[in-house]
Amino acid sequence: MKNLLGKSLRGRLTILYGLLLTLALVFYAGGTSVYFLHNLRHQLDLSLDRDIETVEGLLSLAPDGHLEKGSEEGEAREGDLGRGYLLEVWSGNGVLLYRSDELNGAAMGQPVYLNGNRWREAPHTLRLPNGMTVRVASRFHRIEGQPLVLRLGVSEGPLWQQFWEMVGVLSIGLPITVLLIGLTGYMVAGRALRPVDLMARHAAKISAERLDDRLTISNPDDELGHLGQAFNMTLGRLEESFDQLRRFTADASHELRTPLTAIRSVGEVALQKAGGVPYYRDIIGSMLEEVSRLTRLVESLLTISRADAGQIELHQTTVNALELVQEAAALLESLAEEKQQTVVVEGNSILNVWADRLILRQAVINLLDNAVKYSPVGGRIHVDVSVDTHTVLIAFQDSGPGIPVEHRGKVFQRFYRVDEARTRAEGGTGLGLSIVKWAVSVNGGSIDFDSEPGHGCTFTMRLPVSKIQNATERLS
Amino acid sequence: MRLLVIEDEPKVGQALREGLQAEGYEVILAETGEDGFFLASNRVFDLIVLDVMLPGRDGLEVLAALRKQSISTPVLLLTAKDAVESRVAGLDAGADDYLVKPFAFPELSARIRALSRRGKAEPMTLIRIGTFEVDPVTRTVLREGIRLELTVREFELLEYLARNKGRVVSREMLTRDVWKEPGRATPLDNVIDVHVARLRKKLDDPFAIKLLHTVRGVGFLLSEEAP
Repeated sequence: MKNLLGKSLRGRLTILYGLLLTLALVFYAGGTSVYFLHNLRHQLDLSLDRDIETVEGLLSLAPDGHLEKGSEEGEAREGDLGRGYLLEVWSGNGVLLYRSDELNGAAMGQPVYLNGNRWREAPHTLRLPNGMTVRVASRFHRIEGQPLVLRLGVSEGPLWQQFWEMVGVLSIGLPITVLLIGLTGYMVAGRALRPVDLMARHAAKISAERLDDRLTISNPDDELGHLGQAFNMTLGRLEESFDQLRRFTADASHELRTPLTAIRSVGEVALQKAGGVPYYRDIIGSMLEEVSRLTRLVESLLTISRADAGQIELHQTTVNALELVQEAAALLESLAEEKQQTVVVEGNSILNVWADRLILRQAVINLLDNAVKYSPVGGRIHVDVSVDTHTVLIAFQDSGPGIPVEHRGKVFQRFYRVDEARTRAEGGTGLGLSIVKWAVSVNGGSIDFDSEPGHGCTFTMRLPVSKIQNATERLS
Repeated sequence: MRLLVIEDEPKVGQALREGLQAEGYEVILAETGEDGFFLASNRVFDLIVLDVMLPGRDGLEVLAALRKQSISTPVLLLTAKDAVESRVAGLDAGADDYLVKPFAFPELSARIRALSRRGKAEPMTLIRIGTFEVDPVTRTVLREGIRLELTVREFELLEYLARNKGRVVSREMLTRDVWKEPGRATPLDNVIDVHVARLRKKLDDPFAIKLLHTVRGVGFLLSEEAP
């Protein structure tokens, strides 16, 4: 049973609530019983008190000092007494004057020695040698000037019978109540948990092929609604990354296919034609060019997949932003010179960022390379390094054609090209900006751009200020 | 010089053998790790070119076994794995250098030359090709007695090409050895092409005999004869 119920949340809940309910009811029943017993005794004491008064009226003292009891009413009383009342009468100096025969000589208390005219003995319960429990009350009385003490006892049998009856009723009722409430609880829990079961079934059906499916949420405000929403959001992200992966795979194979097609057709055509050594050299050279393009692409893909898998270890240090940009600009200087472009790098020279130098440098080189590529002959490229509270801003402004509005959201996507034919002809892999985005974000920064078609565009990197720099600033 | 090439891919193996033979090496090709290990432990070689991904016994195991037998022949590992760990594993196993596939042949032959003269610095002597000479000490370049005015980068580029005279130098080699660019991720091909074009203008344009040649798809070559 325990295993059967214990497996499901429903069963565990029912058992837990059942146990708590039983515990509460047992306490309640126990308390009630004790109170009931106390009450019964109190009632008995009150009636004993009344009866003692009656017995007092029946007693008289014979001239020889012998105690007499009775009248006709008294006889009747005696009969009553015979059915359970027990009487003991003591003189003030410890002499037993009367003792009911039913007591068979057993005492209902210590011999009485009166000290003055006071007598006080609390009602108490006594167990007689014959096994009977008796409730005893006593009272001080004076007959013809002689002080006496009366003890009247009555069997507690009926009291205990009543008590046990009540306990019996309670102990039959209690399990029945617990069982009924438990069953109801089990049903209620089942009802409450049914949506969870439905959700689980539904979720199990959502596979990689059907990621667009979502759980239906009946009440978005309750706990199950929250669970469902969270699950749906996870599904959303999952679907997004699956889509991304699918697109990436499709794009990557397309990109790989392009140089492969070139190699193949160049080779096939060359084999069909008869040509001299220079011709074949040229053909082989052309094929090798495609091979280096493939190699570069595969290397970029490898970098990206390692980055995606989080396998690239960062070696973060304090990097001077302006120096880094100047270094990259010097590297690409000759390219700009060929196009008679002016490259201006300026800004705050004390700004340091906390980053992996090589990775960030790659990003800076890619952005500068793009700026040179897209700015016209005689154009101007301006890089500015500035600070905004805890962020270092590096802005790369080119004088190219700018990026049309419809491409805004996509330029950082892998293999996305604003001008397909042009970038391919220039040997771009279509991965440059996506690598920039990764390089910046892995170093805790962000990148976006601003562009007015016809007036160039500005890519702005935001990177966290190196904490070490802050420390030295505080020192100085 | 006798080389042992352990490479299971027949096309690559053949190409390496032919290419290295053309450079004047005696080349023995083994196609499995077992064969390679057997040859390496029974004959004396000046250098071993070892592919990591071999069927059966892989390159690293062969290398470890050789080093265990105290065979200290220099080993150049060829690996298709770009991951840093596999490079480290290769160097830990006792390799002297490694090259990631796909590599350019000029790169391989440059590494082999470097390994075979290991420990010996390149001499700072005058390099001469016909009437052309480069002096690494005074950093001067003379052609037919005329001194050429070169920038620092142009001089370094020319010196590197001159040291490798008669051999093709790939753009990857220039990126690493002249531009000292770390990592293969930075493609400087355009930058290199611009510098080569400028160098050519100063070096070759005024003279009848052209020295600096572009080998399409491979790289550049400094030689009196066109390739």
